[in-house]
Amino acid sequence: MTTKRKRSLFIASFILPTLVLYSLFIFYPIIRAIYISFFDWSGSSENMNYIGFGNFREMYSDPIIYKAIANDYFLIFWKVIGIMTIACFFAVALTRFRMRGASFYRVVFFFPNVLSIVVIAVLWRFIYNPSLGLLNDILSLIVQREVEIPWLGDSRYSLWALLPPAIWAGIGFFMILLIAAIKSIPASLYESAEIDGAKQWKQFTKITIPLIWEQVKVSIVLIVITSLNGSFAIVSVMTEGGPDNATQVLGYYLYQMGFKQYHMGYASAIGVFILVLSLITTAILQRLMKRDTVEVS
Amino acid sequence: MKINTNSPITRLLTTLMLLVWTVFSVYPLIFSLFDSLKDNQQFYTKSAWALPDIPLLWSNFSYTWDKYNFGSYFLNTILVTGGSMVLALLLTATTAYVLARFAFKGKGLLYYLYLSSLTIPSLMLVVPMFFLFSDLHVYNKLSGIILLYSITAMPMGMFILIGFFKSLPHELEESAVIDGASPYSVFFKIMFPLALPGLITISIINVLNFWNEYQYALILLSDATKYTLPIGLAFMQGEMQYRIEFGPLFAGLLISTIPIIIIYILFQRQINDGIVAGAVK
Amino acid sequence: MKTKKIVFLSLTVLLLLAVGLTGCGGSNKSAESAKPSASASTPATESASSSAEESPSAEAGPTLAGDFEVQYCVGGYGDSWQKSMVKQFKEKYPDVNIIESAGPKINDQMKPRWIQGDPPDLVFIDCAGGLDVLQSIKDGQLMDLTDWLKTAQNVDGELISDLLIAPAEDFGGKNYTIPFVFGSWGTFYDQALFREKNWEVPTDFDSFLAVSEKIKASGMEPYVHTGVHTGYFTGGFLFPAIVSANGDDPAILKDMADLKEGVFKSEPVMKALQQIVTLRDKGFIDKASGALNHTDSQIQFVQHKDAFIPNGLWVENEMKQDTPAGFEFGMIPSITQAPGGKYIANPYTSPIAIASKAKNPEAAKAFIQFIYSKKAAIEWAELTGALFNVKVDLNGSKASALSISASKYYSSPDLVVLPAVTNNEDVKKEWENATLALTYGKVTPEEWADRVEKAAAKARAKNKQ
Repeated sequence: MTTKRKRSLFIASFILPTLVLYSLFIFYPIIRAIYISFFDWSGSSENMNYIGFGNFREMYSDPIIYKAIANDYFLIFWKVIGIMTIACFFAVALTRFRMRGASFYRVVFFFPNVLSIVVIAVLWRFIYNPSLGLLNDILSLIVQREVEIPWLGDSRYSLWALLPPAIWAGIGFFMILLIAAIKSIPASLYESAEIDGAKQWKQFTKITIPLIWEQVKVSIVLIVITSLNGSFAIVSVMTEGGPDNATQVLGYYLYQMGFKQYHMGYASAIGVFILVLSLITTAILQRLMKRDTVEVS
Repeated sequence: MKINTNSPITRLLTTLMLLVWTVFSVYPLIFSLFDSLKDNQQFYTKSAWALPDIPLLWSNFSYTWDKYNFGSYFLNTILVTGGSMVLALLLTATTAYVLARFAFKGKGLLYYLYLSSLTIPSLMLVVPMFFLFSDLHVYNKLSGIILLYSITAMPMGMFILIGFFKSLPHELEESAVIDGASPYSVFFKIMFPLALPGLITISIINVLNFWNEYQYALILLSDATKYTLPIGLAFMQGEMQYRIEFGPLFAGLLISTIPIIIIYILFQRQINDGIVAGAVK
Repeated sequence: MKTKKIVFLSLTVLLLLAVGLTGCGGSNKSAESAKPSASASTPATESASSSAEESPSAEAGPTLAGDFEVQYCVGGYGDSWQKSMVKQFKEKYPDVNIIESAGPKINDQMKPRWIQGDPPDLVFIDCAGGLDVLQSIKDGQLMDLTDWLKTAQNVDGELISDLLIAPAEDFGGKNYTIPFVFGSWGTFYDQALFREKNWEVPTDFDSFLAVSEKIKASGMEPYVHTGVHTGYFTGGFLFPAIVSANGDDPAILKDMADLKEGVFKSEPVMKALQQIVTLRDKGFIDKASGALNHTDSQIQFVQHKDAFIPNGLWVENEMKQDTPAGFEFGMIPSITQAPGGKYIANPYTSPIAIASKAKNPEAAKAFIQFIYSKKAAIEWAELTGALFNVKVDLNGSKASALSISASKYYSSPDLVVLPAVTNNEDVKKEWENATLALTYGKVTPEEWADRVEKAAAKARAKNKQ
C-alpha cells in the first residue's frame, strides 16, 4: 500500500461514518421535506396533491412572508450587536482587567444558556406583564406615576421586547468562546504593549480584536445562522407571532402554517426558503468578513 | 509581573456591570426556587418576585416527583445524553480533524454541506423524521434518538473544533509521522489530547442541548417509559393550561435544571485548565 | 485516488437521494412497517382488558370483539370521565379490548398515525393540535355518520339526535362529527363584587356601556380579554354582536363559515365592528389585553383588576383553586344586543368522530351509543363541572352551579342558541389578528373587512383546487 493510498483510506475512514449518518438523518429528511414542499398537503392525512411550485408562488404574494423576513433580520441585526458587544465586554473584563472572581462570573454568566426555554418564557413574561410585571413597576417608580405598557401586546414594542431575552440567553456561550480566544493570545504581546504605554482601549483594538477576529467571526456567523430558525423558540413562547403578526418570524410562521393551520406543504416551502435564505446570508457574511476560517482547497 | 492600566473608575463601573449581570443570571434560578415553594394564592396576592411564605412548601417537590414519573425520565435522559455525547464526540472530532488538517478534493463542499445544516429549520424535518424512524425500526427506541442527536450536534461541534485543530502546531504531527506513527495514532495519541479543551467545550454544549431537547423526542418517543425530562415537563405544562399549579411546575423545572447546572459547574474548570491550542501558537 | 473517493461519495449521496424519493412515493409501505411498533406502544396506552384472550367464550350472541382504540386528550376536563366510560363499556362488552391512546400531548403524538392512514377507531377532537375537522373531512379521514345518526339510539333506546343540545354540525348536508362537550361563550363577572358596588348587571349594550363608565370611574378596568388568543373575544363578543345585528338570525355565521363573498363587509358585521370601536374609544378595553394569554387574563379577572371577561363556561372550574374566597362567577350570554333584544348564546363544542379507516367501526359506534346517555351526561357534569351535549336535568347533581344555571338558559325563549360552525383556520386567524388590531386602533372596520375578505377569497380559491 502506498502512502498516498494509506492517507486516502485514513481520510475516508474518518469522514465516511459521519457522512453516512448525516446523509441518513439529515439529508434524507431534507430531501423528503423539499419533496413535500411541492404538494398541497395538510400534514394530517395521506392525501397529497402535487402542485409544482404552487406553494412558492403563494409565498411570493403572501405579505406576512415579507414582514417575517424583515422581523427576522431585525432580530438578527440587534442580536449580533447586543450579544457581541456584551460578550466581548465581559470576555475582556474577565481576562484583561484581572477582576477578582473572574472564574465565578464566567460560570454564573453561563446559567441562562442552561435554562430551558420554558423557564425563560415564564420569567420574561412575568417581567413584561403589564400590571404585575417588574419592568412596569420599575418604570412607575422612576416616572412617579403608574406605567402599564403591554410590552408584548403592543406592536410598537413587541418586537423590541423579544431582544432582551434572546440576547440574555445567548451571552454566556459566546463569552466563553471569546474568553478562550483571548486567553490564547500570548501574554508577551500585552506586556510589551503596556511597556509602550498602550491603554486598555488601545490594547483592545490593536491586539485583542485582531487576534480574536477569527473567533468573533465564528460567533457572528453562528448567531446569524442559528437565529433564522432559532427565533422560532422565543417567539413561540413569548408572543406566538402576535399581536397581528407584529413579531412574526419565518420559523414561527412555518410552525403556524404546518401545525396550526394545516398547510404542511406550504410550511415545507417556507422551510426551503429559510434554508436558501440562510445559505445566501452565510455566503454574504463570509464575503464581508474576509479572513477565512477554512481554506477551501 | 503585572501592570494594571485600568483607572479606578473603569474598574468600579466594570465591577458594577458584572454584579448586575450576575443578578440577571442567577435570579431566574432563585426565582424558580422561591416560586417552587409557594402555593397558587401567593402567586396572585403577591408579586411573583416576593419571598415565599412560611411554611415553605417543600412538598411541591415530592408531589412533582411522585405524581410525574421523574425517576424514569431521569434515567432515560442520562442514557440519551451520555450516549449521544460520546457518539457525537467521535463523529465530530474525526471529521473536524480531517477537514482542518488535510487537503483533499471535495473538502470545501463537505464543509459547507455540514455548515449549511445549521440553518435547517428542524420543524421542517419532524414529519419526515418520523417516517425514517419507522423505516429503521428505531421508533420509540432510545438508540434511535441517540443516533439522531449525535448527528444533529455534529455540524456545530465541527465548526468549533476545526478552529482548535487548525491552531495545533504542525511540528508535533510531523515528528510523529517521521517516527513512523500511523495517522490513527497521531490522531488518538497526539491530536485528541491536545484538542481536549475544545472537545470538552463542545461536549458540554452538546450535553446541555441534549438534556433539554424537546421537539424530536416528543414525536419519536411516544412510549411513556421512554420519556425524557423535557417531555415529562411538557406534559406537566400541558396539564398546567387547565389546572394551574405553578409551584409544582417550578419544582419540576428545578428538578430537571439543577443536574445540568451541576454538570456544567463541575466540568467548566476543564476548559480553563489548558487552553493548549492557543498556548502553543 | 481522490477522484475515486469523490465518485464513491457522490454515489452514496445519490443512492440516499433515490431512496428518499421512492420512500416518499410509497407512503403505504412505510405505514405498514411502522404499524407494529406504533400500535404496540402508543402513548400512555393502557389496556383496560386484562383478560380479552382468556374469555373468548362469547356468551352474548353477536357481541363486539377485537381491539378498539380510542384517542382522547387529557386537557381541561381531565380524563376521569373517559376512564370511567371505558371501564363501564368494558363491563358491558368484555370481549372488546380497549386501547386508550391518551395524554396531554396525544394530538401531536398520534398525528403521524393519522398521516400514515393508521388512525384510532374513535377520536375525541379536543385540546391544542387536535384534528382540523374541515381538513379531515376534505381528506376523507372521518366517517360519514349521516345515515347512521338518523336512526342511532343510545343504550337506553333513546334517539341520539333528539338528545343533543347542539346538533351534529352540517357539512354540506352530511354529518361527520357529533359534539360531545357543550360549553358556551359569554361575558363573565363577579356577582359578589357587583352587589357590593351596586353595579347593575348589563342586559344589553347600552347598559353595558353605562355600567362600564361607573366601573372605570371607580378605578377598575371594565373589560379584559385574552389578546394572545383572540378567539375568546370573537367568541364572546364579536359573533353574538354580528348575530344581534343580523336580526337574531344565526344564518350569517354559516355564511361566514362557508366564506360567502361579501359577508365580511355586510352591514351586520360592520355594525358589530363599530361596537368594538365604541368600546375602544371609550377606553373600556384593558390595554394590557394584547399581551395576555388565557391564564394571565383570567388571573387579572379573578384578582379584580378587570370587571368583565369574555370566556367560556369552563372558566370557573379551571380557576377553582385560584379564585379568591367570596368570588361568585356570573355569566351573561351576550352584551351586544340592543335594549330589549334577545340574548345570544354562542356555544363552544368539541366533537367526537369515527375514523373512516377505523378497524373496528362497530365498536366505535357502540361506544358512541354508550356515552350519549343521560346517565353518562350526568357523570360528565359531575366529574368535569362542564356540560355534556345531551339534554338532561342536572338539578340535584353535583355539577357546578354555573353549569346548572347556564343549562337553564338554553330553554329560555329570550335566548337564541347559535349553531356550532367550524371555520376555516386561515380566515379565522386573519379575523382574529385584524380584530386585535382593531381594538388597538391599528386598523379601521373597513380595513378589517378588506383584510378578511381577501383571506376568504384566497381560501375559496384553495378549496377549489
